[in-house]
Amino acid sequence: MSRIVGRPVPRVEGHAKVTGAAEFTADVHVPGALHGVMVLSTVARGRITRLETRQAERSAGVAAVMTHRNMPRLTVPEPHLLVKRFLPLQDTEIHHSGQPVALVLAETLEQAQHAATLVRVSYDTQPVRTVFEDAMDDAWIPPPEEEPGETPVPNELTRGDPEGALARADLRVDVTYTTPIHHHNPIEPSATTAVWRGRKVTVYDASQGVTAAQESIAQALDLPVGHVRVISRYLGGGFGCKTPWPHTVLTAAAAREVDRPVKLVLSRSDSYSLHGHRSQAHQRLRLGARRDGTLTAIDHVTTQQVSRTEDEFLPSASVPTRRLYACDNLSLAQRAVRLDLPTPAWMRSPEVMPAHGLECALDELAYAADMDPIELRLRNHTATDPETGEPFPSKHLKECYRRGATAFGWSERNPRPGSMRDGRIRIGWGMATAAHSAGGMPGAAARVTLSTEGTAQVQVATQDIGTGTYTVMSQMAAHVLGLPLDDVDFVLGDTNLPYASLSASSATVPAVGSAVNRTCTKARQKLIGLAVADPRSPLHDLPADGITAEEGTLYQTSRPERRDSIRAVLTRHGRPLDVATEAPEESGEQYSTGAVFAEVRVDPLLGQVRVTRMLGAFDPGRVLNRRTIRSQVIGGFIWAVGFTLTEHTLLDTRYGRFVNRNLSGYLIPVNADIPDIQALFIDQPDPTSQALGARGFGETPMCGMTAAIANAVHHATGRRIRDLPLTQDKLIASAS
Amino acid sequence: MSDNDEAPIGGHSRRAVLKTGGFAATLVATGGVLGTAVGEGAGAAPPAPATEVTLDVNGRTHRLTVETRVTLLETVRERLGLTGTKKGCDRGECGACTVLVDGRRVKSCLTLAVMEDGREITTVEGLARGEELHPVQEAFIRRDAFQCGFCTPGQIMSAVACIDEGHTGSDDEIREWMSGNLCRCSCYPNIVDAVRDAARERA
Ligand code: FES
Ligand code: FES
Repeated sequence: MSRIVGRPVPRVEGHAKVTGAAEFTADVHVPGALHGVMVLSTVARGRITRLETRQAERSAGVAAVMTHRNMPRLTVPEPHLLVKRFLPLQDTEIHHSGQPVALVLAETLEQAQHAATLVRVSYDTQPVRTVFEDAMDDAWIPPPEEEPGETPVPNELTRGDPEGALARADLRVDVTYTTPIHHHNPIEPSATTAVWRGRKVTVYDASQGVTAAQESIAQALDLPVGHVRVISRYLGGGFGCKTPWPHTVLTAAAAREVDRPVKLVLSRSDSYSLHGHRSQAHQRLRLGARRDGTLTAIDHVTTQQVSRTEDEFLPSASVPTRRLYACDNLSLAQRAVRLDLPTPAWMRSPEVMPAHGLECALDELAYAADMDPIELRLRNHTATDPETGEPFPSKHLKECYRRGATAFGWSERNPRPGSMRDGRIRIGWGMATAAHSAGGMPGAAARVTLSTEGTAQVQVATQDIGTGTYTVMSQMAAHVLGLPLDDVDFVLGDTNLPYASLSASSATVPAVGSAVNRTCTKARQKLIGLAVADPRSPLHDLPADGITAEEGTLYQTSRPERRDSIRAVLTRHGRPLDVATEAPEESGEQYSTGAVFAEVRVDPLLGQVRVTRMLGAFDPGRVLNRRTIRSQVIGGFIWAVGFTLTEHTLLDTRYGRFVNRNLSGYLIPVNADIPDIQALFIDQPDPTSQALGARGFGETPMCGMTAAIANAVHHATGRRIRDLPLTQDKLIASAS
Repeated sequence: MSDNDEAPIGGHSRRAVLKTGGFAATLVATGGVLGTAVGEGAGAAPPAPATEVTLDVNGRTHRLTVETRVTLLETVRERLGLTGTKKGCDRGECGACTVLVDGRRVKSCLTLAVMEDGREITTVEGLARGEELHPVQEAFIRRDAFQCGFCTPGQIMSAVACIDEGHTGSDDEIREWMSGNLCRCSCYPNIVDAVRDAARERA
């Protein structure tokens, strides 16, 4: 097989992206489309008592103002499709601030924006509960979520005798960590354009799950699934917020009502209440250990916000506590508190919240045990999966610690907090283990068509959310088929293609990668079958298993000069070769780990933290493309900088209203915040992977790096701030 | 070259729509309207006038009639069909809409088309010479300076200007002068590499 996989090839869609030719959802030109603008509720709970739309309707260019009065009644799609359990514009009930109460449709965006200001709404309001801390006493443990094709996650788990072990422990750590609300803020706002032809609708949607969007629309509008086509060829990031949310369904419904195509692009401000957030969270961790650092007990209780309209949706699962370290006595609870806020969402690396608590608490334990934090982690390393008792099929985490530490120069670290200085600047070095689960989602189908010219088209209804799906899947297909990369065209983002699930849970490699491998392997076998059956081929009558496909050629493995070109085989065949495979129920669950290191410089007078170095050594299984995987690491690390130092959505608790609903008040990192980043990979294939030895990996790097940064801040200053983000005010306050 | 572009949009030419009158002069920069909390009295505002502007975009002259409230961003995207320029926030925070106006980088969501009458605009579509990419575009591909690619047109336009301005003396200087362009996929180190490469190539 050719060595295309593993090569750091540039992104195959790069040219389209640097020239502006890549057509994102809002770029799709649909003649005659009306522009939609949402009007959002200003109260968090209550009922609409008056909704005055006449002035807006009379405003220039306005085609319609859609409200609960004139929208058709819709069915709420099933929970595995739509996590939000109600659709707006259906009745007068208000469940959270920023809920749509009207959708203005006009000929131009400016007309719709203006008319939206003319809609008048009055409410009968009810008292709200919006303060997380106030609701802690009512926290409860929901039953586990059941989703088709997914592994159910228990919200409560006990192994051994954690209380007894804690009581007997030589060393104990009992700490509480808190994290705020976060918003995804992809630079591309969510957008939908719906175009009806008769009883069928085509929906261009900024979607990280075209098939899920298709099913949601079909269920909501009571249509056969085949009447809905969803297209998302280029996607400007998603990070968890571009799974189906009501605005997509509402746009499709509104377009049918007004009998015109409708285009809705959410404003940045709208995006804060229309597609979820990472919940505010509280976690208490109690660790027990022997004097040598061996963990004897972990008790981990996390609490996350849910809204009043859903019950069982806790996106941040405490997987690291369950799977990352050996510990016989464990108790774990994942609790919910109900507030009058919008429904939360998955957000990049959902396990980061519990991982942050665990990895910071381990740093605290390392200080309590007077041990190096890497040493502590090695002491508690596990080669078997504590979840199943089976050995991990391939886990090179120890090697990650070793290589990461060497590359970072960890042995130079003076462990005493505040001991490393550069003038008045305090320098801190911190580390943590990075880990995130991957896959466990429904599997994918695929179709391969080999043309008579010897080129291949590979089709899957998946998405490229920016991770490099186009590129990596093209590489895999070329590798398995034995074609040059340029002869492979990978097509995605359209429900007319073979099924795939969401681009989420780091599942694209395990689900789509496996499908591409499986289908292309079958196509290659058929191709070789054609060659050996063809008397005109130099390979005629040779055993099929003795033939290799590489760079457009089939040759006898033992005598490579005996060869035929793939193109010639197909040309003689005279018609395209078509191979399709069905989607398996599940894509398999994987776990990718690594070791991460950060250096910070803290100005104690200003409380300012600068991250000056970030480094990670990772075990993602086989590396499919060093360039795109490195970008995943960089992305995850920079998200960790935001999570730890700058990002938080602020709430006006009186109205349950997010106040910094923009990019100047919600601080995502900018270029000047980010230092050089180093990423190392063990690059050993996972024998259980059906995606050429690669595992899902994209969400691993962020987990761990947040704690590495916070641990570095502690090392620099001696202050352990357990409430994120570590803003200047907190550092100054804690210094005094 | 000059063309009089009065393409109908939504089945109505803007001019026809304009004749119906009743426009407010208020520029509503964001669509996220929180009920009655904003826009009080907007209905009483006088009609928004429309005016003729001439924009030289990527070497082509366009004469257009635009409402005075329409941003340069909406004009290039919706009127000229140049959708390479992106809208990420519509309020000057993200930089996805960056274009060059007379060679200077400008966030096109923060300026109105009428304010740029007679000026030369360059968008991302105007950088390559035929099949030959601009060195900044080449460098962005080579250095993997994007993931989703949505912020990329703005990053590239900003990078072109950053190099012209001479703000590429060090990596730190590049970081500082490229900080008006947000990238949520977080490709910053690779963007710095790409800008440094392209600046060297030019030197
Ligand atoms: S769209 Fe202009 S700065 Fe964001
Ligand atoms: S590449 Fe996705 S936002 Fe920059």
